Amino acid sequence: MVNYNININDYKIVTLLSQCFQDKASVHLAKYLPSGAMVALKRFNMDKIKQESYLVDVEIILTKQLHHPHILPYFTSFVHGPDVYVISPLMAYGSCRDLLNQHFNDGLPEQAIVIILRDLLDALNYVHKRGIIHRAIRASHILVSSLGKACLSGFRYSCPIIVNGRWQKAIHSFPSSTQANLNWLSPELLEQNLIGYNEKSDIYSVGMVICELANGFEPFAGMCKTLMLTEKVRGNIPQLLDCTTISREDNEEYGDHDTNFGLSPKVVNRRFSEDLHKVTDICLKQEPVYRPTAEQLLTDPIFKTIKRSLPLPDLLKPALPLSDRVAFNTDEVEDLETASNFSNLEIFSCEWDF
Amino acid sequence: MPLFGKSQKGPAEVVKALKEAVNSLEKGEKKAEKAQEDVSKNLVLIKNMLYGTSESEPQTDIIVAQLAQELYNSNLLLLLIQNLNRIDFEGKKDVAQVFNNILRRQIGTRSPTVEYICTKPEILFTLMTGYEHQDIALNCGTMLRECARYEALAKIMLHSEDFYNFFRYVEVSTFDIASDAFSTFKELLTRHKIVCAEFLEANYDKVFSYYQRLLNSENYVTRRQSLKLLGELLLDRHNFSVMTRYISNPENLKLMMNMLKERSRNIQFEAFHVFKVFVANPNKPKPILDILLRNQEKLVEFLMKFHTDRAEDEQFNDEKAYLIRQIKELKPLPGH
Repeated sequence: MVNYNININDYKIVTLLSQCFQDKASVHLAKYLPSGAMVALKRFNMDKIKQESYLVDVEIILTKQLHHPHILPYFTSFVHGPDVYVISPLMAYGSCRDLLNQHFNDGLPEQAIVIILRDLLDALNYVHKRGIIHRAIRASHILVSSLGKACLSGFRYSCPIIVNGRWQKAIHSFPSSTQANLNWLSPELLEQNLIGYNEKSDIYSVGMVICELANGFEPFAGMCKTLMLTEKVRGNIPQLLDCTTISREDNEEYGDHDTNFGLSPKVVNRRFSEDLHKVTDICLKQEPVYRPTAEQLLTDPIFKTIKRSLPLPDLLKPALPLSDRVAFNTDEVEDLETASNFSNLEIFSCEWDF
Repeated sequence: MPLFGKSQKGPAEVVKALKEAVNSLEKGEKKAEKAQEDVSKNLVLIKNMLYGTSESEPQTDIIVAQLAQELYNSNLLLLLIQNLNRIDFEGKKDVAQVFNNILRRQIGTRSPTVEYICTKPEILFTLMTGYEHQDIALNCGTMLRECARYEALAKIMLHSEDFYNFFRYVEVSTFDIASDAFSTFKELLTRHKIVCAEFLEANYDKVFSYYQRLLNSENYVTRRQSLKLLGELLLDRHNFSVMTRYISNPENLKLMMNMLKERSRNIQFEAFHVFKVFVANPNKPKPILDILLRNQEKLVEFLMKFHTDRAEDEQFNDEKAYLIRQIKELKPLPGH
């Protein structure tokens, strides 16, 4: 791995890419001056982050201990002023959530989903084998590189399966500040009962992600959290929306009741393969034991189609990777020093008398 | 019945094979790649004996006992830690997992591995210096925190000269390592209340002169974490005499009053929790009282405006109101 300096002056911020961690962190496109390489610079504003500051530590320390082609690596991390900076490779297509928001409101094409899913499962298989449950599998935590490689990130909600020197059969801890991830979490995790949960909880979330990627939004989106929980526990199994799961009449009726949900004819007429429906279904099984492991899922025949498929960047058109979208050396370039000084303008005039 | 009757290696064989592989890795012989491979392979075998796999349960207690005995006799734990930087990325984590499992071993109320490490404290010192090396720091940290759970081991670490290196480690420029070192440091200073209190009392001057540097660090995260930990240490009733000593020193009060005015709101807030102890002290020494009196009006005015947006934090508001009242009522000592 290339060594990256821990001096902020070696990085020139080009533009803001996105906000994350409930807007307490931001991701910037930055130029690494010694080599001229473009990198992603994530900046945690530690002064905004109060009780949850340990989550930043957890994420960075854990991610540094993972090496996998489909897990977003952190090159380095350092402190400057009141901020913690993390340098990672630039993922030029952004997150899968960004792709859905910007270009694929009704969902990604099936072949793209299958490729992303394979990469995700590959990462997850590694993570689970290393004794970690991710607990926040969602499209916004899956990033895509300019070459079309999907990488998993967002490890700050994860938990170890190995506790007290033992591989635990069940985990009972509930992830803290997980509000934003609730829709993706498995029924057994949300129930917080004595049975607990294990790594199969992530597999349920994979099922939710398939729905999210295919439908454009995650199941239960916009629903109140209590109802979402009740629905999951009652065994409401979300589905991929296509002509096999929604009938035209239903949709018209549905559309009358709920204006947010009037589905476009494109959605009603499309058809996902039988295999993708099956994979989704099996991931979303109510009983964790009936869900396959990530390793078992990787042997699913659906992934054989990847060999014949177009590469992911072609499937993602018209979305373009960042480097083609952003004109570098524009006026947008901001000096980091000034920016951080600016935020510190709050002045205390009072002087103590010692 | 397995088709190819591969006989399973017993603990003695695996430990022997691993030791040989680590030895040749250490010597840096030509067949380094092969040695690397053997180390990784045998580490996985040991790990699987201890933790089991998705297909198999962990080995029986008898096998694990044999394995532990072999590990002690062969001195392999120390050898693995000394050569940790030479072991591949996943292998380093396997070492930590094997170590942590063996450490937890119990026979009745005895912890044989803890007893073993007490006779080989070099293991602890080697782990502590692991923070000097980027590529093994986090693995060593995982093992150190597990060791720190045991009073006997925590005591050895606290009372070693190497402990003071933590004041450097928690401030290194790589955030993940500094942050990991800090959590180990905190564990050592807080886990075993009585041992910690005794240590702080006996080494008060040295520890707090080092600690002062953390509070004045240029690194925001170090400053914030160490200030927070200071508050926790002082408010722990086990550390009563340490607290009394700390709040008698006017320099400490000045530092906290200045930190109350730091730009960062989190630092102001943490400083408040140390500052309050100075004010709440019913027996304030004269130098402390003098400073508070000299700034009486300013402090009251300052505190009235201090973090007024924390309306929902009842405890904080009660404490703030209490401090304001206390400061308002301050009077010079009679006869002065």
